[in-house]
Formats: sequence, C-alpha cells, structure tokens
Amino acid sequence: MFNKLRIGKKGENIIFGTFVLLYIGWCVNSPDMNIESLKSVLTIGLSVGIIYGLVALGISLIYTGLDVVNFSHGEFFMIGAFAGLTMFNLLGNQDWIFNLFPDAYGWIIYVVCLFTAFVSMGLFGVFIERVFLRPLTKKGGGYTVAGMGIIICGFGLSVVLINVAYLIWNPVAKPFPAELGLPMEIGGLFLPVTYIWMIVVGLSVAAGLWFFLNKTKMGLGIRAVAYSKDVSNLVGINVPLYISIIFGIACAIAGIGGTLVGPTYQVVVFMGYIILMKAFAAAVVGGFGNLPGAIVGGFTVGIFETASSFYISGSHKDLYAFLLMIVVLMIKPTGFFGVQVKMKA
Amino acid sequence: MLKIDQLISGYGSVQILNGANMKAEKQSIVALLGGNGTGKSTILRAASGLIRSWKGTIEFNGEQIQNLPAHEIVGRGLVQVTQGKDVFPAMSVTENLKLGGFILKSKQQLSDNLEKVYNYFPRLNERKDQLAATLSGGELQMLCIGRGLMSNPKMIMLDEPSAALAPQIVLDIFKNINRIRQDGLTVLVVEQNVRMALLLADYGYVIKDGVINVEGDSKKLMYDESVKESYLGGTKANV
Repeated sequence: MFNKLRIGKKGENIIFGTFVLLYIGWCVNSPDMNIESLKSVLTIGLSVGIIYGLVALGISLIYTGLDVVNFSHGEFFMIGAFAGLTMFNLLGNQDWIFNLFPDAYGWIIYVVCLFTAFVSMGLFGVFIERVFLRPLTKKGGGYTVAGMGIIICGFGLSVVLINVAYLIWNPVAKPFPAELGLPMEIGGLFLPVTYIWMIVVGLSVAAGLWFFLNKTKMGLGIRAVAYSKDVSNLVGINVPLYISIIFGIACAIAGIGGTLVGPTYQVVVFMGYIILMKAFAAAVVGGFGNLPGAIVGGFTVGIFETASSFYISGSHKDLYAFLLMIVVLMIKPTGFFGVQVKMKA
Repeated sequence: MLKIDQLISGYGSVQILNGANMKAEKQSIVALLGGNGTGKSTILRAASGLIRSWKGTIEFNGEQIQNLPAHEIVGRGLVQVTQGKDVFPAMSVTENLKLGGFILKSKQQLSDNLEKVYNYFPRLNERKDQLAATLSGGELQMLCIGRGLMSNPKMIMLDEPSAALAPQIVLDIFKNINRIRQDGLTVLVVEQNVRMALLLADYGYVIKDGVINVEGDSKKLMYDESVKESYLGGTKANV
C-alpha cells in the first residue's frame, strides 16, 4: 500500500517548495512584516544558524568517521564556552596587554580565547574518545559494530559532563563581557559586533575544515577512514589515530562555537542540551553526514526559527527547529543534500 | 619471503583456520586455492593484520609480523589488495592511487610510483580525473592493484583478482601480475578460478577446512585428483 504512495525526487521538491511558499506567505501576512524587521531576522538568523551549523558539522563529522551519533556533543560546546571564558578571566585583568595594544586589546584577547577553546576542546575530545569510547570497541569490529553502546555512552557522558561542569563552575549563568567595540552599522542596521564575529569566524572555520579535508594529506586520510576502516588500514593509515583526530576536530569546532556564543548570550552549564538538539535538527535538515549540508542546515534552522518567532509567535521559539526537522523528514527524508551511504566520504 | 606456520585464527569465537602452513619464495607467484568458506581470505586478513592471529607465527622478511597493527605491516612492505573492488568511490582515480601511497614520505616518490602504475595500467591514465564510482569492473580491479603497488611493497597479496570479470580482462590482469613479478615483487594470489591461477603461479596450495590440504608445483596440481575433489565438495563427480 505504501509503495503506491511513494513520491519521486521531483514530487518531493514540489511538495517542499509548496510548503516553503505557504510559510513565506504566512510570514508576509504578519503585521510585523517590514524591511527593517526582515533585515534583523536575517542577520540574527544567520548568526545563530552558523552556531547550529558548527555543532552540526561536528555531529556530521563524527557520524561519517565513526558511524555513531555523538549525543554528548552539546557538552563539548558548553565546556568550550567555559574554556574560553576562563581564558578571558585570566587575561581580562592583565594590564600589560592593555598597555601593549591600547586600541585592539579587546579582540586580541577574544582571539586568544577562541584559540584556547579550539585547542583545549580538541585535546579534551581526544581524551574522551580514548578513555571512554575506545574501550567499548574492545570486542572487535570497531565503532560500526559497537555503535549502540557508544550512543548510550554518549548520553551518559552528557550527564556526567554537565555535572562535572556544575561542580567546577556552579549553575549560575555567567556573563562573557568581551570588549569587541561598539555596534556597527551595516545597511541601515546597528549590529552588535559579536554577531559579525559569529558569522565571520564560523564561516572561516567551516572553510578551513573544507580546505583541510580536501587539500591536505591528513584530510585525504580522514575521508578514506570515513568511507572504509578496513581499506584505509590496508593502505597504511593508522586508523585508531585517525578516529581520535576526527573526534578531536569535531569537539574543537564545537568549542569554538561555544566561545562565539558566549559574548552574545551567557555562559551557563545547561546551554549544551538545547544546542545539541537544534544542531541535530540542522544536520538532519541539511542531510545527515553531509558536511556542507550541516552548515546550510544550520542557516536554514537559524533563519526559520528567528523568522517564526518574529512573525508567528515568539513564545514557542524552541519548537520551530523540530517542526522544520519533522517536515523535512516527512517530505524529503534525505535532507537537502541527501547522501547515499556509499558516497558519504 | 612470507612464511606462515601453524596459523590459527578466526572471527569472534568462530575458529576458521586450524593450523595453516604456507610459504612464498622471493619473486615467485604463489596461488592459494579453495572453495567458499575454506579460509582463504582469513589467511590474508590475518597476514595483513586486519584480524588477530590466535596462535602460530607469520614471518615476513625474517621478522615476525603476527598481531602487528595493519598500517605497520603495510610499512614493512606486505600489502593486501582486497576482494571485491574496494575503492573509494567518491574520490578520483588519482586520489585513490595517492591514498595507496599514503605511507610514502616524499612527493617525488609518490609521483614516480604514480607514473609506474600508469605504466602498468595505461587505462587508468586515461581515466585519472574520473570518480572511481564511474569505472568498469575491470578498471576497478586495475585500480585496486595499482593502489596496492603505490607504497613500494615487497610483496602483494591479491584476493580474487578475477572475480566477476570477463575472460579477456582476466587475461589482461594476469599478464600484468606476471609483469609485476618480473619487476621483483612476490605475489600471492587467492583464487577460485583454479585453471587460470595455476597457469600463472609457480607453486600452489589448496586449502580445505582451514588447513592446507594439498600443495605442490602448479604444473603438478593442475592434474591432481584431490584438487578437483576440493572444489567439488569431497564427493567425486564425473567431470
């Protein structure tokens, strides 16, 4: 019976297009619709979206490389934010930086914080992978076979990491007062500089990852490991090491995402959970396991969420990402850039 | 070159090899024959480090290599070419070949080896910018063998190079295997195509139930009754 209901790729696109048009019509009909609000919706949507995209990128990278979904990824995002904040508090009251660079100390400190988050989360990710996830593959078969155990372990890790963070930093939301300068005027819109930082740094991280994967020897090895562990082993790639590297890179990117969000919102122990869920929605919307798809999915979820809370109802802000995910799964189950499993590298 | 002594191994708790012995002399072609599920591929997987050897030794170039990590075995010059055209379909032919030379340190050596492989298989040179997914079965097999040759191996082990290929292409590939041997490599061929494999090889082993059943000069094995028996499941049939 269900075979008769199956629609082809063209049909999927037509139905999805209809949904998009309906949605746009709904938004245009809203009383708040004008060019000013549209501008701010787009900028906020893009800046939030790139954060979802970065976390989704990590989830997709781990999924391609290790064949498991990492449900503790939001916690790496949260600890990354705390790592950046800790560095900021260390450097923030050092006079010599201020004396050395009186004009630019704010963003120099911020860049150091981003770098700290990147490196420390990378190392932390490798540590977690080696100590907590790798032993689960002892029985043989690697991550592909041990998959379900590792997914459950991810949930457990998430709880443990939240509670460890709770012990260290306590549950009070902390401000991240990076001094990045006054809001800038772009196209008649006054934007906080942090939004621009988010978009610029986020896109450069994504571009850097693309370059790393496609143009370097190590990237070639990572793509090979993502496709087949056995064949990669047989061409002389140290597969266990590369799996650690993949996990580390994914966590490092999540850490940068956390530090990018910090100055705009606040740094709090429970920030990882909702980001994980929304990044998951972004990854599904873009096509699970597809890296450019993760970024596009992040932007889509970000803009959809912001536009909906502006024009439809602001009181259900966290709902829209999952609504979009459900609609995409119903109409276009592969996501925007659906990949065949065989071609995922 | 390669010496396998009383090898016992398997998957999980299922024992497949029950003490296999075999040897490959330098610059020779050795054929390993046997029906389905007799342990041919398991010997190769144990030798190249993809599965653990439970007991017994594998000696390569005078050093024991059993239970070394697979990438270190590749580094020592023992390379397995997997069964079933296992290439990276989303990468171009050149990228696939470059992956084969992953352990090489210098760029110069990589391009030299690339040249060498294109020399063996001119067909790959014509297709070098195509995605590997678009190649034909014969070209995929050439790509697999070429990828194995990229890392300057001393010995390569081929797992069923003739599987699912047209006879003309099988002949072409076997000619190339002979050329590879003449250039100084040792070759171990696992085959189900008994006649072709024995024509090519100097020495043959027939494996049955995880032990080497018959061995001998390939000319002699060609007319051996027990070889036929191994392939027809123990009962003598009138062929």
